[in-house]
Amino acid sequence: MRYRVVFGMILAGLLGSAYAEDKTEALAITCNNCHGVDGVSVGPNMPSIGGLPESYLKNILLEWKAGTRYSATMGRLVKGYSDEQIAALAAYFSKKPWTPAAQTTDPKLVALGKKVTARCAGCHGETGNAGDGDTPNLNGQWAEYLELEALKYRDDAVAMPNKQMRKAAQKLSEEDVKAVAEFYASQKK
Amino acid sequence: MSQFTRRDFIKALAAAYPAAVLTIPKAHAASKARVVVVGGGFGGATAARYLKMMSPTLDVTLVEKNKIYTSCPLSNEVISGFGELKDLQTGYDGLKKHGINVVFDEVAAIDPAKKSVALKSGTTLAYDALVVSPGISFNYGGVEGYTQELADTVLPHAYKAGPQTLVLRKQLMDMPDGGTFIITVPKGPFRCPPGPYERASQVAAYLMANGKTKSKVVILDANDSFSKKGLFEQAWKKFYPDMIKWVSGANDGNVIKIDPKTRMAYTNFGEHKADVLNVIPPHHAGNVAVSAGLANDKGWCPVDMLTMESSLHKDIWVVGDSCVHGELPVYAAPKSAHMAVTQAKVAAGAIIAKLNGQPAPEPFFVNTCYSIAAPDWGFSVVHVYRVEDGKLMYVKDAGGISPIETPALAVQRKLEARYAEGWLRNIMADAFA
Ligand SMILES: Cc1cc2nc3c(=O)[nH]c(=O)nc-3n(C[C@H](O)[C@H](O)[C@H](O)COP(=O)(O)OP(=O)(O)OC[C@H]3O[C@@H](n4cnc5c(N)ncnc54)[C@H](O)[C@@H]3O)c2cc1C
Ligand code: HEC
Ligand code: HEC
Repeated sequence: MRYRVVFGMILAGLLGSAYAEDKTEALAITCNNCHGVDGVSVGPNMPSIGGLPESYLKNILLEWKAGTRYSATMGRLVKGYSDEQIAALAAYFSKKPWTPAAQTTDPKLVALGKKVTARCAGCHGETGNAGDGDTPNLNGQWAEYLELEALKYRDDAVAMPNKQMRKAAQKLSEEDVKAVAEFYASQKK
Repeated sequence: MSQFTRRDFIKALAAAYPAAVLTIPKAHAASKARVVVVGGGFGGATAARYLKMMSPTLDVTLVEKNKIYTSCPLSNEVISGFGELKDLQTGYDGLKKHGINVVFDEVAAIDPAKKSVALKSGTTLAYDALVVSPGISFNYGGVEGYTQELADTVLPHAYKAGPQTLVLRKQLMDMPDGGTFIITVPKGPFRCPPGPYERASQVAAYLMANGKTKSKVVILDANDSFSKKGLFEQAWKKFYPDMIKWVSGANDGNVIKIDPKTRMAYTNFGEHKADVLNVIPPHHAGNVAVSAGLANDKGWCPVDMLTMESSLHKDIWVVGDSCVHGELPVYAAPKSAHMAVTQAKVAAGAIIAKLNGQPAPEPFFVNTCYSIAAPDWGFSVVHVYRVEDGKLMYVKDAGGISPIETPALAVQRKLEARYAEGWLRNIMADAFA
C-alpha cells in the first residue's frame, strides 16, 4: 500500500473532491492503531472495518455522532469529526478490500451456527456477506467482536436503533450467540 | 486499493498545470533523503514504518538498543498474573520486511549542527531528517535512597516493562496476607497518567482473587488528583472496599526518601512501612534527547505542536513520551502509546513534506487510554484535537471519560476491558508488523 501525502494533497486540490484525499488519508491512519492498517484488525475483539459497505459505515458513524446509537468508545471519538470528514472516512474504508480474519473456530459450534443462522440469511446472506449497502459483513469478522456486538443488541438498556436486528438477536439462546459468532467468523467468502 | 503511482501523478499534474508549477525540489527529493530514527518503541517504530509507507524510496534507519521490545501497556496485568509478558513482546523483523534498516546499537550522541548521530559501536550516521523517540529516563536522585541498581534488583519500579515487571509480580505473590503494597507516584507529568492507579487496581485484583483480603494497597502520590479518578474510585469501592488507600500530595503523600533495607517510605512529615515497595521515580525525556540539547529546563523536549519538529533544533522531530506537545494543560497531550503513534504519523507526514519543500499537511491527533480496574471492568479516556488558528485545541464536544453511570454499566465496562486487549494487538501491529 502507498500513502501519498504530498502528491495526494495537490491531486485532491486538482480534482476538487469534497474532502481532500490527503486529508482523508491522514485522518484515516489515526484509526489504524485500533482497527489495523487498511481497517484489517488483528485483535479478536476489535472489528475489521476495511471493506464494510459505505452506507452502513456512514450511517453508524453519524448515529454515534448524534448520540442515537450506543457505543462503548467510538461515540466519544466520532463526535470530534465533521459530517464531511465522516463521509470521507466511510468512502475511504469502504474502498478497502474486505479481509476475513485468520482465526480458529470450533467445528461443533460452527455446525450449530450454520443451522441457527438459516433465519438470518434473508438479511445477511448465507455466509454473512449480505452484499447490500446497509448490512455489515459478518463473514470472517472476529468471533469475539461479534459476540460482544450481540451483547449490545440483546440488552434493552443499550441503545441500538435497528429494531429488526435487535429482535433477531434477542430470540437467540446464550449458546446460539456463541455459535452464530463462530459460524460467521469461520466464513471466508 | 487503487495505486496511484508517482508517474501517474506527474502525468495528471502535467496535464492540469503548466510545467513551471512543478516545484518539487530535485536536490532534496524525498526519495534520496536519509531519515534516522532514534528508539524503536511505539513512537519510533511507527515513525519508521509510516515514513516508509508514505514514501517507499526513502532511506530509513532505525536505531534501537534492544532486540526485543516489551509493551508497557497491559504490563500491569502481568504484575497481577492476568496476562503474560511474552504476549507483550515483539521483535523488529516486521520493520525489516518493510525495507527499514534496523540497527541494534545505542545512540551515544546526536550532533544537530553536523546532522549526524554517533552510535556506541563507533559508527556515525548522517541524516537529512532525524526522529527522536527514546521514551523516558529516570531521575533516581529524585527519591533519596533509591538507585538504578536497586530498581534492577530488589526494588523494581517496573515503569519500563521487562524483567522488572516479573520481579514485582513475584514480590506481590510472595507478600503474605495482611501485607502492605505501596506505590509511590512522582509529580506530573509522568508516563501513562492512569498507570499507577491501574496498577493499584491490578494488585488489589490479585489480592482478592487469592484470598489475601486483609492486605492493603497504598498509593503515596505527589499530586492532588489523577486521571479517571471517579472511575477508579467507583471500581475500588465496588471490588476492593477499603483495600486501596490514596494519599494525595496535599495530604503529605509526596515520597522524598526511602530506606531500601527496611522498606520504609518517607514523606515530609510521615513514614510508611511497606512489604512491597514500588517506587515510580520522577522521569524526564530520554537521556539521549536531553544531552542533544533538545530538552527545556523541565527535562522535556518542546516541539512545534502541528509538525512535531523540535522548537530547539531544526530537522529533528521529537515524538512520544520525550516531547512536550503544545501549551495545553497537564494531561492534554498525555504520555501514552496511543499519543506516541499518532504523533509519529504526523511527524512522518511533516518530514516528507519538508523534504519535498512543501508545507506540512494538516495534522490529526487523537488519544485513547484504556484502563482495566478489575476483570471485565475497563474504562477509557478519549481526546480528540483540532487545529484552530494554528494551535492545537481539544474538540470540546468530543472525547472525555467513559460514563460513570449508564443504564447497562456492566456491559459498558466489560466491553472496554475487552476492547483494551484488541487495541493493544492492533497498536503493536500498526507499529511493528
Ligand atoms: C505500566 C504502564 C502502563 C501503560 N499503559 C498504557 C496504556 O494502557 N495505553 C497507552 O497508550 N500507554 C500506556 N503506557 C505508556 C506507554 O508505554 C508510553 O507512552 C510509550 O511507550 C511511549 O512510546 P515512546 O516511543 O515515547 O517510548 P518507548 O516505548 O519507551 O520506546 C523508547 C525506545 O527507545 C529506545 N532507546 C532509548 N534510548 C536509546 C538510545 N540512546 N539508543 C537506542 N535506543 C534507545 C528504548 O530501548 C526503547 O525501546 C503505559 C506505561 C506504563 C509504564
Ligand atoms: C481507541 C480505539 C479506536 C479508534 C482510534 C477508532 N475506533 Fe472504531 N471502534 C472502536 C471500538 C471499541 C469499536 C466497537 C464499538 C464501541 O465503541 O462500542 C469500534 C467500532 C467501529 C466501527 C463499527 C464496525 C462494525 O462492524 O460495525 C466502525 C465503522 C469504526 N469503529 C470506525 C472507526 C474509524 C473510521 C476510526 C478513525 C476515525 C475509528 N473507528 C477509530 C475503537 C476505536
Ligand atoms: C431484518 C434483517 C436482519 C435480520 C433478520 C438479521 N439481521 Fe443482523 N443485522 C442487520 C442489519 C441491518 C445490521 C446493522 C444494524 C445496525 O445498524 O445496527 C445487522 C447487524 C448484525 C450484527 C452486528 C455486526 C457488526 O459488525 O456490528 C450481527 C452480529 C448480526 N447482525 C447478526 C445477526 C444474526 C445472528 C441474525 C439471525 C439470528 C441476524 N443478524 C438477523 C439485519 C438483520
